[in-house]
Amino acid sequence: MADQHSLIRTRSRRYDENQNGRPSRNITGPQSALTDFLASHNISAAQIRIEADRRRQQAGQGESTEENNVSEVVETVETVSVTVEASSSTSRTTRGRNTAALDKIKASKAFKKRKKMADDDDDDDDIALAIFEERRAPLPGQMENCEICGKRFTVTPYSVAGPDGGLLCAPCGREIAKEREGQPKKKPRKQTGGVGSRRTIQSRMLDGDVGTKSLATLCVQTLAKNVDLAESLGDLPEHLIDKIARIFSKRRLLKPDTLPLFMQPSTEVLHIYDGAKLGHQEFISIFQVASNLKKFKVRCAVQFKDEVMDYLLSRDIPLESFYLHGANLLSEEKWHEFLAAKGKSLKELQVYFTDRHFGDETLGLMKGCCPQLTRLKVCHNQKVTDAGVTAIGQLSSLRHLSLELLQDLSSEALKSCITQIGKDLVTLSLKRVPDADDSVLDAIHDNCRSLAKLRITESEAMTDNGFTRLFADWENSSLEFVDFQKCRQLDAAHPRENPKNIGLCSEGFKALMNHSGRTLRHVNVHACRNISREAFEEAFNETTQYPELRHLEISFCEEVTDFILGCIFRACPNIKEVNVFGCMKVKEVRVPRGVILIGVPNAQGMITEGTD
Amino acid sequence: MLHTSSQPYASITITMDDLAPPSKYVTLVSGDGFEFVVLREAAMVSPIIKGMLDPRSQFVEAQHARCVFQEMSGTVLDKVVEYFHYWYRYKDSEDVPDMDIPVELCLELLAAADYLGLDQANMSTK
Repeated sequence: MADQHSLIRTRSRRYDENQNGRPSRNITGPQSALTDFLASHNISAAQIRIEADRRRQQAGQGESTEENNVSEVVETVETVSVTVEASSSTSRTTRGRNTAALDKIKASKAFKKRKKMADDDDDDDDIALAIFEERRAPLPGQMENCEICGKRFTVTPYSVAGPDGGLLCAPCGREIAKEREGQPKKKPRKQTGGVGSRRTIQSRMLDGDVGTKSLATLCVQTLAKNVDLAESLGDLPEHLIDKIARIFSKRRLLKPDTLPLFMQPSTEVLHIYDGAKLGHQEFISIFQVASNLKKFKVRCAVQFKDEVMDYLLSRDIPLESFYLHGANLLSEEKWHEFLAAKGKSLKELQVYFTDRHFGDETLGLMKGCCPQLTRLKVCHNQKVTDAGVTAIGQLSSLRHLSLELLQDLSSEALKSCITQIGKDLVTLSLKRVPDADDSVLDAIHDNCRSLAKLRITESEAMTDNGFTRLFADWENSSLEFVDFQKCRQLDAAHPRENPKNIGLCSEGFKALMNHSGRTLRHVNVHACRNISREAFEEAFNETTQYPELRHLEISFCEEVTDFILGCIFRACPNIKEVNVFGCMKVKEVRVPRGVILIGVPNAQGMITEGTD
Repeated sequence: MLHTSSQPYASITITMDDLAPPSKYVTLVSGDGFEFVVLREAAMVSPIIKGMLDPRSQFVEAQHARCVFQEMSGTVLDKVVEYFHYWYRYKDSEDVPDMDIPVELCLELLAAADYLGLDQANMSTK
């Protein structure tokens, strides 16, 4: 012990010398600009470093002498009486010192902060002790005795804490780490305020839920979290099963072992929203079990191959609705066989992402095979061309038609199709039709009488006049759903000019709201950027009322201002969601409670009325 | 919590006939006889209960402010009532913690929620 103390004394003396002696400037290497600057202000960087080193070492020294005291107590058996007294006195003093330190910690800011964070049931003393332990823990680079094996080792930033709070040497640390690996990690606390909460709220808003979730949603979410515990869904009503099926797709929960939840021999409706994990054997098993199937819908049905279709064709299942998404291994011949065998009962056919295996010939066959077909949807298809669209014109039973084709369609084909079947169509959706021009709109005006849903997107040829003509004195009753997304002029050389009034512009928009405003529930004029401020202000003026409007998408309509949004909130009492991405003139509009405004171009996001 | 679960068939008699303004509380009764006294405003989130208690209707439920749900067990109704208060407490806040649903009650509760119209599309939140 005496040696130790003398050592310290000598060391400290040496430091004193250092402290007093100013560094000489005889030999200097390259200096940093900062050192130079400090030197000019009579501050020595070397001095600062030496002092810092000294402080650090002193701290370490204090620790290690204390440790040594204790270890010596254990080792020296001969001088029991003396050491016991010494040890007890040291322990008493350390305890005294500890309580003093703990009290000090309890008064500190860090303690209060931590106490706020921690759960209420944590004891004050525990928290203070934890902080104390943290501060007392040896710094990296110092020596420490391992808590388990007692060996001395050098502390590194990676040293693992032992079961009683001390540090462990590398081999023991590895052992402990291995043991702990199996144990589940502590759940992160849910953020309830401060940093990140605003972002969480905004993110939930984009998901469409603000405030309390409904009890049904809570139940379905709990169910989805515990799929493996569920044996059967019992006899829940169809719409709830559908709701569950939808949430399953969110986390890819539908696997061969969860599929049986959705199919019983009595099942008539089967909706699979993500079938990517199902193999072709599972698809076959669906038709084995559910022999009364009427409506069949699978998304991401990658393994729905020829074998599966062969099996389906061998069974006597009169399907009414067939919805297949992503089945691009299914060959065109099988589609032909399917239409020939099952077409009679088929009322709805929806085909998405079929690559090149569903084309004009298949559509041509439908006239003869599917006398009852009311709904036809062909999406993201690379094979169907004008000829196929003209063939659709033969299907006089159609009520709902949706096309999204990768081949550019000509106006003539669309016109001939609409002229023939337009009269009874309830839904007409033409996605991505860059070449379709005003003559298509005129055909709709002249033929369609029962439309409720109209979608024409990405047309680069339709003009404002065409849209105005469509809605002026149109004998069709008021629409419920309108989508004219990206019907606008595109010219990289003159982006600001629109001499021919291409796209849905001011007059067309006013005509639309005038014709259908009464019943519209959903309006999408995304990127129809030539609708003027005056047109919006007129459409949503103080005398108008759009009682049914729920969703309004006006992103990238550059002229939308805070005032226009205010007018919209006033004119649409039932509005739920307004999208304003890229509307740079929207600054700080106050949004009524219960309405979601998405895409406000600032970091704060939407401001709900009455919150500031 | 405002609800009190009493023993089966305990008698809580509320006579509403002669009182002009309806009571702030309503009684919900489960199939096995548990009674829950709930804040009227909280229970009104269910369009079904709202319809039952509409004073303009001449339903017995409206007159006595007491709804009996034969097909719901006490444990399920207990959770439903908890949800009413959860909804009532958080209806005006934006950042809301999810309510815990016991896994074993999940399906029964889902059916009950459906019956009571407690899904996003139907809930009378305004």
